[in-house]
Amino acid sequence: MMSWIDVSCILAVFLALSLLATHRIVGMIKIFALQSFFLSLVPLFMSAGAISGRTLTLSLVTMAFKAVLAPSILFWTIRHISMRSEVKPILGFGTSILCGSVLIAVAFWISLSLRLPGKLVPSLILPCSLATMLLGFMTMVTRTRAITQVLGYMVIENGIFLFALSLLDAMPVFIEMGILLDIFVAVFVMAIVLNHINEEFERTRGSSSRPKWGESN
Amino acid sequence: MILSLLIVIPLVGALVVWLPAKAMFRLWLLWAMSLGHALVVASFWLRRPVPEWQGYLVLDPLGLILLSVVSLLFLFVSFFMIGYFQHEHSGNRTFTSCLFCLLSMMTLVSVSYHMGLLWVAIETTTLFSAPLISFHRNWETLEATWKYLLVCSVGIALALMGTFFLAIAAHDAHTLLLPAILNGASSLSLNWLKLSVIFLFVGYGCKMGLAPMHSWKPKAYGHATGMVTVLMAGGLTQCSFLALIRVSQICYKSGLSDFYASILIFTGILSLVVPAIFLLGEKNIKRSFAFSSVEHMGLLVLGLGLGGVGIFGALFHMINNALAKVVMFLTAGSMAQKYGSSNAHEVRGVIHIYPVTCVFLLLGLLAGTGMFPFATFHSELLIINAAIITKHYTLAGIIILCLAVIFIGIARLVLEFVYGKPTEPVLAKKENLFINITIASAAVMLLVLGLWMPAPLNRVLHEAVALIGA
Repeated sequence: MMSWIDVSCILAVFLALSLLATHRIVGMIKIFALQSFFLSLVPLFMSAGAISGRTLTLSLVTMAFKAVLAPSILFWTIRHISMRSEVKPILGFGTSILCGSVLIAVAFWISLSLRLPGKLVPSLILPCSLATMLLGFMTMVTRTRAITQVLGYMVIENGIFLFALSLLDAMPVFIEMGILLDIFVAVFVMAIVLNHINEEFERTRGSSSRPKWGESN
Repeated sequence: MILSLLIVIPLVGALVVWLPAKAMFRLWLLWAMSLGHALVVASFWLRRPVPEWQGYLVLDPLGLILLSVVSLLFLFVSFFMIGYFQHEHSGNRTFTSCLFCLLSMMTLVSVSYHMGLLWVAIETTTLFSAPLISFHRNWETLEATWKYLLVCSVGIALALMGTFFLAIAAHDAHTLLLPAILNGASSLSLNWLKLSVIFLFVGYGCKMGLAPMHSWKPKAYGHATGMVTVLMAGGLTQCSFLALIRVSQICYKSGLSDFYASILIFTGILSLVVPAIFLLGEKNIKRSFAFSSVEHMGLLVLGLGLGGVGIFGALFHMINNALAKVVMFLTAGSMAQKYGSSNAHEVRGVIHIYPVTCVFLLLGLLAGTGMFPFATFHSELLIINAAIITKHYTLAGIIILCLAVIFIGIARLVLEFVYGKPTEPVLAKKENLFINITIASAAVMLLVLGLWMPAPLNRVLHEAVALIGA
C-alpha cells in the first residue's frame, strides 16, 4: 500500500501547485476539495489491508469536513458576496509555478536531513507535507483577496494533516476529531466574518468616512 | 468529576443564553456562573482535585495559577458588563454565548495534560474570541477581527505542526501525555525535539503576541471593547504562556534548556524593545496599552528564560499582569464609552468631567508600568534580579532602559488625557457604580499583593517553580 500513499502525497503537492497558479476562485475551491478528498483516502491506504473501524471513521470524518462541508461553506460565501475571480494576482501564472517549484525543491532538501523513526522512513509523506505547507503559505502571501487567504490557510492545514497521518498511534481519536472540528469551525468563523465585512462594505459604499482596508489604525 | 463539570457547565450556559429572555438575565447568569466558577477554583487552593479522564485532565500548581487568574478575570469582567450594558443598546446574545465558551475552553487549557488536547483548547479560544472583537460591528473592528483570526490561526497551525514533531520525538512513548513525555525525556530524539520546540514557540508565541509576531495586537486591542481586551490580554495570552511553560518543562528534562532559554531571552528582549520604540509616537490610549501588553508578555518569557528566581517572578507576574490589565483596559473601555473615542485629540482633560475615572487611569498607569507599591513592581524587580544573578548585566541594563522608555511613552499619553485642555464628551454618560467597583477592587488587590504575599500563594508559586525545574 506504500505506493498508493506516495501517489496521494504527490497528488496533494501537485494540486497545491495548481491551486497556486489558478486565478478563478471557484476553480481554487474545487481544487482544494479534490486535494482534501485524496488526503482523506490516505488513512485507508496506511492500514495495509485490514481496515479498522478507527481509520474508517477518521477517513470518513475528514472527507465530510474537508472535502464536502468546508468547500460548501466557501461556495456559499462567494455566492453571497458575489465574487468570481481574483482582481489582480501579485504574481502571474509562470512566476507562481516557478516559485512553487523552488519551494517544492526546498521541502525535499529539508526533509533529506530529517529521519522519521519507525516504519515510515521510505515514504514521501514528510517532503510532500512540507511542500504542501509551503505552497499554502505562498498562496496566502501572493493573493490579495480575503477568501484566497482562507484557501491558503486550508492548504497549510492539509499539509499538516498529511504529516499527522504518520502519527496515528500518538493521538487518541477524540483529539484527532477535536483538531478536525477546530479547523472546520475556523473556516466557518472566517466565512461569517467575510460575510460581515461584505455587508459593511455594501453599507458604507461611497461614503468618504470609511478608511481603506489596511489603512485605518 | 469536578474538573469535567467545570468545563461542561459553562458550555451549557452558552446554550441557555439562546433561550428567549431579557438581556439583563444573560448578564446576571454570566456573573452567577463566574462566581460559582471562582468559588470552586478557590476550593482548589485548599484541596487539589484528583486527575480525571485517565490523566488527560490534571490540575497542577501551574494550572492552578492560570485557572485562578482566568476565574478572577471572568468575575471582574462579568460584573463590569452589568454596568456597561446599562448604557449599551446592541444585543448581547452572541457576545455572552462566546464568553461562556471562552470560560470553558480557558478552563480546559489550564487543566489539560496532553499536548494535543492543549492545542485543541487554545485554538478553540481563538475561534470564540474572534466574534467578541467585532462586537461593535464597523469597518475597523472587522478589519481587526480578520487580522487577529488569520494571524493567530496560521500561528496556531504552526504550533500544531510542532505538536506533531513532538510526537515524533517522543515516538517511543506512543503518547503526548505530559508525564509520559517527561519520564521518557532522556530517550527523546533531540533533532526532532529542537524542531518541535521552534515550531511550538513560534506558534504559541504568535498567540501570545510576542514581538515580532505581535502585529495583530495593536489593532485588535485598539478596537475591541474594554472587557474583551481584558480577557485577551490577561487570559488568552497567558493561556499560551502556559503552553510555553509546558515546553519548558520538557526542555529541562531532556537537557535542551539552554537552547530554549536563548530563544526565550532573545524574543523577550525584542518584545521590550519594540513597544519602547512604538509607544513614543502613539496617540491612541488603547493601542498604547496594547504595546504595554507586548512588553508584559516579553517580561514573562524573559523570566521563564532566565530561570530560578526569574521563573518565580514570571509566575507571580502572570497574576499581577492580569490584574493590571483589568485596571488599564476597563478604564480605557469605560472612557471610550463616554467619549466615543480613545484618541488623544478627542479625549482630553478628563479630570474636569470624570474625576473617578481619572484616578483609575492614573492608577492604571502606575500599575501597568510597574510602579511601587503595586505588585507588578515586585514581579518586574524579581525578573531583573534574575538577570543580575545569572550575570546577564547588559540584559538587566536593557530591561531597565526599555521599562523607563515605556513608562515615559505611556505617562506622556495618559497625562495628556487627564490634564490636557478639556474636550466635551460626545456621548456624555454618567459614572457607573458597577464599573467603578470592578476597577477599584482590581486595583486594591494589586496593591495588597504588592505589600503582602499571602502564604498559600507563596507556597503554590514555589511548588510551580519546582515543577518547571530549571
